[in-house]
Amino acid sequence: MNEVKKILIVDDEAQITWALRRTLSAHHYEVRTAADGLSALETFNDFQPDLVITDLSMPEVSGLELCRRLRKFTQVPIIVLSVKGEEKTKVEALDAGADDYITKPFGMDELLARVRAGLRRSNQVKKQEETVLEIGDFHIDLATYQVFVRGEEVHLTPKEFELLVFMVRNYGRVLTHRTLLGAVWGGSYTEQTEYLRVFLRHLRKKIEPDPSKPVYILTEPWVGYRFNPFR
Amino acid sequence: MSAIGALYSKLEMAQFGKANKLLGYLAAIFGIGLITLALAPFQTHINSTTVALCLLLVVLIVATAAGSRPALLASVLGVLSFNYFFLPPLYTLTIADPQNWIAFAAFFITAMIAGQLSSYARRRADEAQMQKKKIEALYEELKSAFAKASEAEALRQSEKLKTALLDAVTHDLRTPLTSIKVLATALLENESEHQNLELDLQSKKEFLETIVKETNRLNDFIEGLVELAQIEAGAFGLRLGWEEIPEIIEAALSRAERMLKGRRIKINLEENLPLVRVDSKALAEVIYTLLDNAAKYSPAEAPIEISVKQSQEGIVEIAVADHGPGVPKEFREKIFDKFFRIEKSESKAKGMGLGLAIAKGIIEAHGGKIWVAERAEGSGARFVFLIPIGDE
Repeated sequence: MNEVKKILIVDDEAQITWALRRTLSAHHYEVRTAADGLSALETFNDFQPDLVITDLSMPEVSGLELCRRLRKFTQVPIIVLSVKGEEKTKVEALDAGADDYITKPFGMDELLARVRAGLRRSNQVKKQEETVLEIGDFHIDLATYQVFVRGEEVHLTPKEFELLVFMVRNYGRVLTHRTLLGAVWGGSYTEQTEYLRVFLRHLRKKIEPDPSKPVYILTEPWVGYRFNPFR
Repeated sequence: MSAIGALYSKLEMAQFGKANKLLGYLAAIFGIGLITLALAPFQTHINSTTVALCLLLVVLIVATAAGSRPALLASVLGVLSFNYFFLPPLYTLTIADPQNWIAFAAFFITAMIAGQLSSYARRRADEAQMQKKKIEALYEELKSAFAKASEAEALRQSEKLKTALLDAVTHDLRTPLTSIKVLATALLENESEHQNLELDLQSKKEFLETIVKETNRLNDFIEGLVELAQIEAGAFGLRLGWEEIPEIIEAALSRAERMLKGRRIKINLEENLPLVRVDSKALAEVIYTLLDNAAKYSPAEAPIEISVKQSQEGIVEIAVADHGPGVPKEFREKIFDKFFRIEKSESKAKGMGLGLAIAKGIIEAHGGKIWVAERAEGSGARFVFLIPIGDE
């Protein structure tokens, strides 16, 4: 359990990779850095990191393209470093397979929290057992379609159930509107964000302790939602 | 706008036409009357041909000036006057001599034809004039449309430029801020009670040093921005004085001392250099920027050369050359644009993309010129600038 986790940092700004390498190393992570997407892919192959942190704007292969290429062969968690005003690229990166994002300038505590969440999730995914999902306040029986929140059974419609299962399985990740719509309703519905909002409102009413102050289904403004199974 | 304009000019023409026509009729009456009055006292002494020609003249003038109808009136009046006052029997509208009948008929026909012809010519001339005016108006309209279109294009371009500049500025501000925040929060966590991080003394010192370095970088960048903005607004107050160029170079070298540590600097000064009227601090900054670039982009063991000479009467040429990779041809002008950086430069040292833009601003404020000299590929960069010696 206490093996050293490996993190690959990709950014073309040398000061930033330096600062991240030094601070993450001090937190007992094994760190390697790359200055662009292309060398990141090379480093990835012989380093086999447990998590990737990448900037979006880089020469040669951009962060967006890096996400796409990594997702072709690995499910390793990817955290994107973005800046305010790059919203479009950020959403594209999340759609392309990134798990999470953090906005520059960020504090080490914030980044570490996301790194830990990313690593925990990838652990969970590995030992995920398919008939029962049990995370935080949620207990979902996939065979009987039963959902228990904080120990109490909740009755969901089939679509609500599907939506919840998808979010529980991807907890902690930022899920864009497009990802959620595509996963639950299929590719042709990916622009119907209004539709999604209605379903989420109903779902929140059923599972949240206070639907006006959601703690499980968190809104990421302009981007999508993030599911948090813990209170 | 153009429709209203056309209508307006038509209206104006119509009014002008009306007044003109009335004047034409009056001219016909007065013209014929005047000739009649002038010639009537001598009616027995002059022959009828002279009278006819004089009257014909009036018809022609009226026709050219006022058009066919006033000309017709002039012809009719002319015929009546000719018959009444000048063809015997006088003061009657009858004609006795058959020969005079012929003269009378000839006059009448000539007056009519001449009047019509000249008024036709006039009409054609008017039409041509109108056509010309129309074309001119059309041309003006087109010209203003083009001006508007290019104005809009320029505005769009400048908007695009502004966005690009803003992106560059925010990127340059955010990068040092990010490393500062990462390092500072790590240090803070190290100090907190339930720490799960232990930084050794060496790391702590390095973190703090980097924070200071990045803070300086931020400050340099902001100062650079302010200076550039002042130059661009023309508010860069030059403090001109008569200065020695070697002294200015000395000042630049001492400011760049840390950067140039251990490097060979060759200085070639022409003899008998004149004093120049410049802002010595600003000029030293230009030379400092060029030295800074030379040090950044050329190998440490290669010398950097500074040369100064009087290139022409009244103009001093200063050049800073290095033995680095040089500036690729396609970037030799762009390199002076603000925020421009050659993307894949191998050098780790990254500038702000402001130094050369500021240098250019300073040199131009002195009425000088700065450029990258043509040099064979790979033989290094050579930045040259000219400064007029100046006069009181």
